[in-house]
Amino acid sequence: MQRKHFLIAPLAASLMLVSCGGDKTEGGDDLSGVDTLKTETQTEQITETFFQVPSPGEMLTFIKMVGGKNNKNVSFLNSPDNQKNYTDNKSKALNFGIYSCDLSYCSIFEIGSEALRYFKTVKQLGDQIGVSSAISPEVLKRLEGNIGNPDSLSVITDDVYFTSFEALESSKQGPTLSLVVAGGWIESLYIATSLAKYEEKSPVVERLADQKYTLDNLIEFLKKYESDANVAGVLTQFTELQAEFNKIGEKDAAAATDKSKNVLGGGKELAITAEQYKAIVEKIKAIRNSYTLTK
Amino acid sequence: MKKIFLTLFILSSVLAFSQASVCGQFHRKYCVVETKRGGKEGWMYNAQSKSGLFNQGMTSKIRCVIYKGMDYRINVCVETGDKAVYKIFDARTSELLYDNATASGEPLFEFQSTASRQLIIEVTVPNGATSQDKHKPMEAACVGLLIEHKVTDRQGFSQY
Repeated sequence: MQRKHFLIAPLAASLMLVSCGGDKTEGGDDLSGVDTLKTETQTEQITETFFQVPSPGEMLTFIKMVGGKNNKNVSFLNSPDNQKNYTDNKSKALNFGIYSCDLSYCSIFEIGSEALRYFKTVKQLGDQIGVSSAISPEVLKRLEGNIGNPDSLSVITDDVYFTSFEALESSKQGPTLSLVVAGGWIESLYIATSLAKYEEKSPVVERLADQKYTLDNLIEFLKKYESDANVAGVLTQFTELQAEFNKIGEKDAAAATDKSKNVLGGGKELAITAEQYKAIVEKIKAIRNSYTLTK
Repeated sequence: MKKIFLTLFILSSVLAFSQASVCGQFHRKYCVVETKRGGKEGWMYNAQSKSGLFNQGMTSKIRCVIYKGMDYRINVCVETGDKAVYKIFDARTSELLYDNATASGEPLFEFQSTASRQLIIEVTVPNGATSQDKHKPMEAACVGLLIEHKVTDRQGFSQY
């Protein structure tokens, strides 16, 4: 390879990634030793860190798999009737994320008729925030043709989320994207906490505590767009939620027992108390309802 | 000198902007793992997957979240067919947890974790991996990092 010094600057900008991310170097994370562009004569490569957030569907699928198979409750979802109340860009983007999560929920929990309603709401809001190309009429046809097939339904609704995500990323709508991700994530937690009551060693409660890590990533992602007033407001709320998560205690993780697999050992397990759980649930509810404009 | 840097910066920004979607969903198309039985064997796409345009020798990192009780499968693929080098670190302690150089550059890695945690996955494209695509810089190639997950099969009796 012929290294060209004049390519150093383009190198700094030439990593174009297509999902949730950031373009800042992570402070204190000097893993490679090649993080800093110092002078024009150096040929060091730029290291960037991108902060990833799991999709809302991952959380919901987990809940279903650990015991929620027969759940058909939709009472806590954001009613499609509320869509008309979202008139500004911030609430449109946040509720696009929220409705996308609700759509995933209906698909994963096999509530086909509701899935169609939510799809139409997602489509309407998607048209308004600039992702109409990602949600084509063909997707609706696929959805209608698979109402009785939950696996296919989940794949289709996941695709709606991913393609919308990509459309926003490609069109450089970072602030809108970050609000969509924030809305989807808070709704997945709202749903999870509506379904699960506190119980020690409950896998759903443990998974909720683990959202501390996802929230850390999400906050880093939001910070990328904090110059946008709408994002800054959400960042403030999420930072308050982070303060609640930071109260959760830790203990050393148990050693690996399955010798047949590659296991990443060590790490800490989070130990959430009933009080901490309650405080987090209340905070999630308050934030979520401030977005849906509901009580 | 300042003018040169300014020009380079603007050029680099234009370059980045104009090629923002060159790699698109590369990982979803080209990093799909072929299994012996032909099916997906329960693996589900993880939204933390990513694609990007890398220059030769370039390193990039993602910080992702993995959960206890899940199996994960990572596949890193380079457009040119070259093997990428990647390492997995614990994000909090910076402890090196896996280096695919210890597995002869094997792109695929299946694992689980004793605890939920944040990981840093650091990917480097080796020198020599170049694209012939006229739409990309001569020394760049698409790289995909596909992450998949599934709930770990429980062994023995379980309450769930």
